[in-house]
Amino acid sequence: MNGRSVSERADFLSRRRARILPALAIIYLTQQASYITIRSGPAHRAVDEVKISAWLVLSAVLLTAIATNGFWFQPREVRSMIDDELTRANRNDAMRLGFIFAMLTCIVVYFITMFEPVNGRDAVHIVMSDGLGAALIRWGWLERFAHRDA
Amino acid sequence: MPERLANGLKDRRTEIGLTQAELAERVGVTRKTVNTVENGVFTPSATLAIKLAQALGISVEQLFWIER
Repeated sequence: MNGRSVSERADFLSRRRARILPALAIIYLTQQASYITIRSGPAHRAVDEVKISAWLVLSAVLLTAIATNGFWFQPREVRSMIDDELTRANRNDAMRLGFIFAMLTCIVVYFITMFEPVNGRDAVHIVMSDGLGAALIRWGWLERFAHRDA
Repeated sequence: MPERLANGLKDRRTEIGLTQAELAERVGVTRKTVNTVENGVFTPSATLAIKLAQALGISVEQLFWIER
């Protein structure tokens, strides 16, 4: 393992994740601009569907990463150490906040439908993006905070 | 006044000459976990508290106490 102990490797990967998470959240949320542009445009092209599918794939990957801690290609002992007690607590906190954000977004979307129709696909997109985006930002913040002064 | 779980982790760790990384390795967690426990940011489970106490050679009660 490049001369590093399991603990050092886990610490290195954990720090890297703490740096990457906010960037991932920004990339994920800026993708919404592309979706809004496509949906508000005059006609859909095949390339637009590919862009929307890319969002769906990214959403699935990020959701799986939050739910399982990621690092699927690392050895079991490294994965186990990265997903230690604090990381699990941070992930749970992030998922809790993501759920609350998703539910609040549902309330807002429901309210909007009283005045303007919102199709199912758009509603799912907004709810999923808000929930997942909030969870990612929260997880990234907690991880960075935990690494501070470490 | 609210109760707080205080600890003597840093004092004991430095007393026996361990770094955060070395202690983390001994108890099977990452360094950030040791860091957050030391700073009182994270309250460890009973399992981790016992592991930390064992690694530092003292009892859990000596390592952690409730501050009011």
